[in-house]
Amino acid sequence: MPEEKQAKSIDKATLEMLDKAAEEGIATVFDRAEKMKPCPIGADGSCCKNCAMGPCRVPLAKGKEETPEEKKARVGVCGATAETISARNFARMIAAGSASHSDHGRRVIEAFKLMAEGKTKDFEIKDEQKLLKLALDMGVEIGNRSNNEIALDIANKCENEFGKQEGELLFIKNAPIKRQEIWRNLGVVPRGIDREIVELMHRTHMGVDQDYRNLMLQGTRAALADGWGGSMIATEIQDCMFGTPSPVLSEINLGVLKEDMVNLVIHGHEPALAEMLAVVSQEPEMVKYAESKGAKGINLAGMCCTANEILMRHGVPIAGNFLQQELAIVTGALDAMVVDVQCIMQGIKEVASCFHTKIITTDNRAKMTGAEYMAFDEHNPKESARAIVRAAIDNYTKRGKNVRIPNIKQPLIAGFSHETISYLLGGLFRASYRPLNDNIINGRIRGLAGVVGCNNARTTHDSGHIAMIKELIKNDVLVLSTGCGAMAAAKAGLMVPEAAKKYCGEGLAEICETVGIPPVLHMGACVDNSRILIAATAVVKDGGLGDDISDLPAAGAAPEWMSEKAIAIGQYFVASGVYTVFGTTWPTSGSKEFTNHLFKDMEEMYGGKWDFQPDPVQAAQLMIAHIDKKRKALGIDKARERVLYDMDMRRELEG
Amino acid sequence: MAYKTVKKDAPGRGEVDILAETYEAGEPTGEEAGRWRQKLESRDEKLKYLKSGERYWYSDDWFGSEKRKNPA
Repeated sequence: MPEEKQAKSIDKATLEMLDKAAEEGIATVFDRAEKMKPCPIGADGSCCKNCAMGPCRVPLAKGKEETPEEKKARVGVCGATAETISARNFARMIAAGSASHSDHGRRVIEAFKLMAEGKTKDFEIKDEQKLLKLALDMGVEIGNRSNNEIALDIANKCENEFGKQEGELLFIKNAPIKRQEIWRNLGVVPRGIDREIVELMHRTHMGVDQDYRNLMLQGTRAALADGWGGSMIATEIQDCMFGTPSPVLSEINLGVLKEDMVNLVIHGHEPALAEMLAVVSQEPEMVKYAESKGAKGINLAGMCCTANEILMRHGVPIAGNFLQQELAIVTGALDAMVVDVQCIMQGIKEVASCFHTKIITTDNRAKMTGAEYMAFDEHNPKESARAIVRAAIDNYTKRGKNVRIPNIKQPLIAGFSHETISYLLGGLFRASYRPLNDNIINGRIRGLAGVVGCNNARTTHDSGHIAMIKELIKNDVLVLSTGCGAMAAAKAGLMVPEAAKKYCGEGLAEICETVGIPPVLHMGACVDNSRILIAATAVVKDGGLGDDISDLPAAGAAPEWMSEKAIAIGQYFVASGVYTVFGTTWPTSGSKEFTNHLFKDMEEMYGGKWDFQPDPVQAAQLMIAHIDKKRKALGIDKARERVLYDMDMRRELEG
Repeated sequence: MAYKTVKKDAPGRGEVDILAETYEAGEPTGEEAGRWRQKLESRDEKLKYLKSGERYWYSDDWFGSEKRKNPA
């Protein structure tokens, strides 16, 4: 029997553009994934290339139990065991992921500081309230000081978070008190962001830390330095400078591109340039310039997490998620793809060479051979943005005849920051998580789930996210989502309030209808997973659902993960007390002992643990089982009859 | 404002009038549609909101899971 071919995507726009690519002989990530199978030894984390005596391969034999002798023989040239090799590889993924989010945070602070010092005129404080909140968090004096004076102190404090050698990261104290104590007892509270990542890289060097338990303590410290450090700083400072997201209506999928307009897609992760592009693309002079070239205007759209940033704050439409980046070019209608950092496939350059599309890199940390580099100057951001928009407009006249834009797009509502959720549930005078907690306690909402993460060409595009989310909301689990997972949900029509009636269980549908929210809440980009940590903390602090994140009927998942950032995110969620299930593939399968440490021991240490289940519906069932376990522990697993007490009954009670 | 009502069956009371939706039909448009933080204007108002809306972290007299009026 020939092996059944895996479907490439469940998204019709993607399939239509894959057909166009095939007709025109253009290879994409989907074709390359078919041609090149993943290395089975590397996929299991059983390859060590940390020194020049290797690379050493220590694969676990499949289909039989390993004898003690065989296990003893499974070591590298230096004698490193499969456990050590697996743990080192896993830890290095955490280091790279934490470094990525945190370096994003650092770049945001640099722009914020320039603004505070008055060295750039185009950035400003859009949310003074977030500035004041940060001042309270960081012990910065408010008084009658100007916003820029306060901002400068905050910028300096944030910078210090990266280089600090001792003490604790400042945002750690925003976690539930019990959680902080767990971290302190285990010695995993991050001291400084850079220090934890550097130390982790040191400890995974040849011949250093060779105890997987000890390695993972530092792995956890580096991951926490991401979630409660670098990522949280990025989110908070961005909110301060560009605005805290509030509900906004927009559209998603390749159908947002327009045949008669200059199409400019901004792709990557950092919002500073994208914010400026959103502003200058609407300037009358720019629109006039586009018209002078025969276009009806300028159409700015986003891709990946930069898209999420400008969607959340401006409602700029999204052209697609990670696996659609080449396909936006395949439409033939894309005049420029402007990229910053992270998740940008080098394949876009080759695809662009088949069309007129200009690939413009803008960040000196992320150049691409053959692409045009137009530096984003943070001292003069609007001018940089104008030059890029002009380049896209000039390129419009070179557009070929092979243009086909799929007529497929979906409306979505995004913008559910922690602050907005609290406001929506309680209003301006008593913003609160109480209604959410009450409805979890009474069982209308069974629990909460964070479904986040990437796309992966090794699994049918978007299928994992959608199958999992539909199973969860059908079972009354409210879903919080970020990153490419959020985009998948939006494309499937799950991010509009109407979705509640169609896909949710009765209890969740009732809540969504009452509050007027979709059953899947878009909380932002991948750095904004820090928003989920804060929302979970608010649920804990509001009361009635235990006194730690690990007590909550909640779970997390990344069914289509692919990036090292996903592993860092997973580890900081586990260390924050969340049961976290990954799909597609698991990178430590080569060591049962180390995998057991992640899947079992961690629950005793942190209250949260890792799990792996490639079937998204079964993974959702595991999450629901965990949620039910937590409901039982809280004593809210059975519906209780509500009794209205009259005065006699009250007197009896008091007596 | 004239409220819309709908008829529903109430247990033991037959058909009754109850309040229907109070929102305006249609889709919100424009970047400003969902914006709510701009409702707070002065710095004092914003600080006051932090103590109420974000009371879990910034209020001294908030009682929740971590600070109970009557410790268990």
